[in-house]
This record gives sequence, C-alpha cells and structure tokens, in this order.
Amino acid sequence: MALVGLVITFVGFLVAASSVGVMGSTAGRLGMVLVGIFVSLFGIMGVLNQAYMKDAIWKK
Amino acid sequence: MKKVLLAFAMTWGLGLTGVAQAQAPAPEAQPPAPAAAAPAAPAAAPVMITDADIKGLSGPKADDKAKGDPGGTITGNVADIPVGDAKKGLTIGDVVNQVGQNTIAINFVWTLVTGFLVMFMQAGFALVETGLCRAKNANHTMMMNFMVYGAGMLAYWLIGFAIQEGGVGAVANLGGTAPLNGEYAVHLFGKDWGLFGMNGVMLTGATYDVGVMVMFLFQMVFMDTALTIVTGTAAERWKYSAFVVSSIFMGAFTYPIFANWAWGGGWLATLGASYGLGHGYSDFAGSGVVHAVGGVTALAMGILIGPRIGKYTRDGKANAIPGHDITMVLLGCFILAFGWFGFNPGSTLGASGNGNLRISSVAVNTMLAGMAGSFSAMYYMWIRYGKPDASMTGNGLLAGLVAITAPSGFVNPMASVIIGFIAGVLVCLSVEFVDRVLRVDDPVGAISVHGANGIWGVVSVGLFADGKSNFAGAWNGVPGSVTGLFYGDAGQLVAQLMGVATLIGFVFTFSFVANLLIDAVMGQRVTAKVELEGLDIPEMGAVAYPDFVLKADAMGME
Repeated sequence: MALVGLVITFVGFLVAASSVGVMGSTAGRLGMVLVGIFVSLFGIMGVLNQAYMKDAIWKK
Repeated sequence: MKKVLLAFAMTWGLGLTGVAQAQAPAPEAQPPAPAAAAPAAPAAAPVMITDADIKGLSGPKADDKAKGDPGGTITGNVADIPVGDAKKGLTIGDVVNQVGQNTIAINFVWTLVTGFLVMFMQAGFALVETGLCRAKNANHTMMMNFMVYGAGMLAYWLIGFAIQEGGVGAVANLGGTAPLNGEYAVHLFGKDWGLFGMNGVMLTGATYDVGVMVMFLFQMVFMDTALTIVTGTAAERWKYSAFVVSSIFMGAFTYPIFANWAWGGGWLATLGASYGLGHGYSDFAGSGVVHAVGGVTALAMGILIGPRIGKYTRDGKANAIPGHDITMVLLGCFILAFGWFGFNPGSTLGASGNGNLRISSVAVNTMLAGMAGSFSAMYYMWIRYGKPDASMTGNGLLAGLVAITAPSGFVNPMASVIIGFIAGVLVCLSVEFVDRVLRVDDPVGAISVHGANGIWGVVSVGLFADGKSNFAGAWNGVPGSVTGLFYGDAGQLVAQLMGVATLIGFVFTFSFVANLLIDAVMGQRVTAKVELEGLDIPEMGAVAYPDFVLKADAMGME
C-alpha cells in the first residue's frame, strides 16, 4: 500500500505538469494543477502515511 | 483570555491608527503664478571627450599624499585607474572598463558577504534544533547540524552545483558566468523543458571562473539550509551514518534538480516564456527551492523513520516531549533572523544596476514578515492555551521569514506583514495537524515551519506580487515585473501552483524513494535501546553535558 501511495503521489505531479499541454486556458490549467495537488496530497496522507501507521511503533 | 484579546486589539489598533495618521494627506500647496514665457535657448552642441582630454590628468602630488588624508578628499582618484597601455597612457576605454569592473566588484562583494551571513545561519539551525531536543541527544543533534555543512558542500562541489547551475547561462550581475551554458532539455508539448545542467562538475575547466565561484558559494549555502531542515524532523532517532549518506544524496541530487527547474533555467522557470503563465515559477530567494524542498523531504523522513518512543500512547494520543534549553532555541531564532538579511536581500546577486537597489525593500519586507509571524503565533498560542509559548513564538518568527522568502523581491511592506501574520497562525495549525492528525513526529516543527510555510510563500507570490519591482526589465525571460492575482495576473498563480505540485508530487516521492533505499541498505533508525539511552554515547561516543546527571541516567537507563 505504501508503494501505491507513492505512485498516486507521483501521478498527481504528472497531472499537474501535463496541464500546460492538455489545457489551453489559464482557468483550465488552474483546475488541472489543483487536481494534481490534491491527488498527490491524498497519496501522501491518505494512502502512504496510513500504510506506515498500521505498523507504527506506538501500536506495538 | 479577555486580557490577551484586549492586549492584541490595543497592539494592532494603536499601530493601525499610527499608520492612518502618517498616511493622512498633507494640504495641497498652491501652484506658483506662471512667469512670462522666455524665448527657448538654443540647444548646446554635444561635447566630444577624447583620450587627449584625459591624458594629462594626474592624481595628487606625492608630497601632499605624504601629509596624510584624514578627510578622505584626495584618496581615490584618477591615478587609481589601471592603465591598459603604458605607452598610450590613460584612455576613455580605461575609464569605462573601470566603471564596468566596479559594478561587478560591488555585486561580487554584496553576494559574497550575504552568502557569509547565510552560512552563519547553520549556527542558528544548530541552536534551535538542539534546544528543542532532549539533553541526552544534544551532541548527536548538534553534530548533525555541524556536519551537514560539510556533507552537503562535498556533494554539491562534486556534482550538485553542475546539475543545478550548469546551464543557467549568463548572470549579468556577476559578469556573465558564460561557462555555465550546458542545460539538458527534452522537447515536450511543443517546448524545451530544461531538466538539469551539465557544466561545473568539481568547478573544473572553464568553470574555474571568478563569476562562477561567487555563484557556487552563494548557492551552496542555500543548499545547506535545505539539508539541515531534515535533521530537525528526524532528530533523536536518526542513525548518524544514515544521516551522512542521506544528506550527501540530497545535496547531490534532490535539491539541485528542483533548484535547476526553478533557478537554473529549467522548465518551471520557463513556464512564462513557453506557455504564457506569468513570469514562470518565481521564487525570489527560495521559499520553495530551499524551505519547501527541505520541508517535504522532512515529511518523507518523518513518515519513513517513524515517531520517537513515547511520543504517542497506544490509542494514538500525542504526548509533548519538551526540549531541554529554550534559551538556545530563541538565540538560534535571532541568529536565523540575522542571517536572513543575507538570504533574501542577497538573492538580487548584486547591489549595483539591474534594479538591485531594491535590496532595501527586500530587507524591510523580510524583517516585517518575521515580526508579524512572531506576533500572530504568540497570540494564537496565548489565546488557545493561555500562555505565550516561547518555542512556538520562535517558530512563528521563522515561519514568517520562510513565507516571505519567495515574495520578498516582489511585494510591498503591507503585503509582507499580511504574509507573515498568516504564516504565524499557519505554523501553529500545521504543527497540530502534523502531530495529532497525521501522527508524524517532528521534534522541531520543521515540516510546519519550512514545508507548510514554504508552500505558503510560493503561493503568496502568485497573489501579492505588485508589479513594481524592476530587475533589468524582465524576469525569467518575460518582459515586465512579476505580478500576482490581486494585481491582475492569474497566470502567475498557476505557475506558482505548478511549483507546489512539483514539490509535493515529485520532490516528496524522489526523497522518499531515496531514503527508502538507504533504509534498506543500512537502516535509518537506531535501535530502541539506543534511543531510550540517548544517542550521544552510542552514536557519538560522548555526552554533550558530562557534568550533569541526565534524566535517562536518573531513571536507571544505561
């Protein structure tokens, strides 16, 4: 799951970076960049960090 | 609570009243009565100055100089201008060349001296981090901050500088830096995307150049700031050997790659020229490049290495683990604030020409934001928890300074205060979020100070840049001044958010994978026994305070 979280995080970056090629308008690019940021944040906080917390030292 | 709110209201109310009175317009002066129109004087013929006009000029006589010059009226004169050809004597070309050399010399001295100030910030970081950790780890924490200087510099000299600045091209303030002309780019979406530089490995060959040397020193001390941020989050359980390897990797690759994209002519900087997004990703002194890179790498390490033993109870409730020396912390904050006068104003890379006199504005913006951050953090903690917490007030100062770092060259003083004020509240909220929601243990708050506020600083450029700066009429190859959303350019905000997406999506992933590999090879975390005993003896072979009985000893832990 940690690896999945990393992949999702990186995909968020790719979504944002490709906005300049996919979208022509500033508003469209803004929307796509924001989507990319939130995808990356979900990857870090929602998947990767949760995976590490499952085996956290304070649970042992 | 009421007294705190009253004090808060009085402070800002008196301040704003003062501002209102200072800004009250003076009564308009009456215009003078128009004089009778005089006939226009004929235009003066242009005067041509030739070499012959200056050939006979000479400096003060030797007898006069031997009498001394207490008023400084005869020291520094025509005799001090180097003559290119002794047979020809002094020429106009000699004079013009000296003007050029003086301009570059001023810029060299400015950049080098401000670089020395940034180097001294290492002492500030060392004091802040060591003070916020427990005494049993003081030697280890201090040594990490001490040797991150050497580890980072070694990596940066070997390859990091070349990756970051190898293709930056001409830096006019430093005389050109012409040898830095090798940028590797790929062609995507119809444009060139610069990815990394290739010139300047170990500063050999053509990069053995006086201008390049200035650039190396200045950029190196910025790189080291990013590296030292990570030591704060991973303190009290990071294996010293793993810290050295991780820091060398970060100095060689992680930091330089993003820095190339933002400052070295890479794709983030050219978003404006290539795709019309404002002036491209604009980060005057490094809220993103330095602080957010350090902050997201710290987040990666914090998740990977796990929390300290005793930080959380079995049901996930956070326990406070106080530091051992608050005086060290606040002294360290002051040293950092002092060093920041090098960090931000020095990022003009000069004090002469090309709009560089804006260094005064940059310096004032910097100090105002730090002040505002310390106030808002102090009042937040006072209102929420009943006391003006010293460590969070110090972190509030740092948060304000981090946040203003990117916009410092582009905004006005009012915006600086707003940015700093928000930063002070943001750091408090972020510390609570990271600690209690994410459950990532961060002994010094580095993720919140540098990560969260680094990103806030990047975004604030896209909001508050007022278009009044003028650095040689262009920025990142786009004519005009950097202008944010509030002053009419939404594209600038998009460029900044692209930088944020890169920090969160790419830099975090890159750092996490690199440190995961280091963990697999050599392990990043010390054993539980070592951690409970304190890292000083097992890792460093000596305690920081041999004359004192530490709590670990008193509790019978070996």
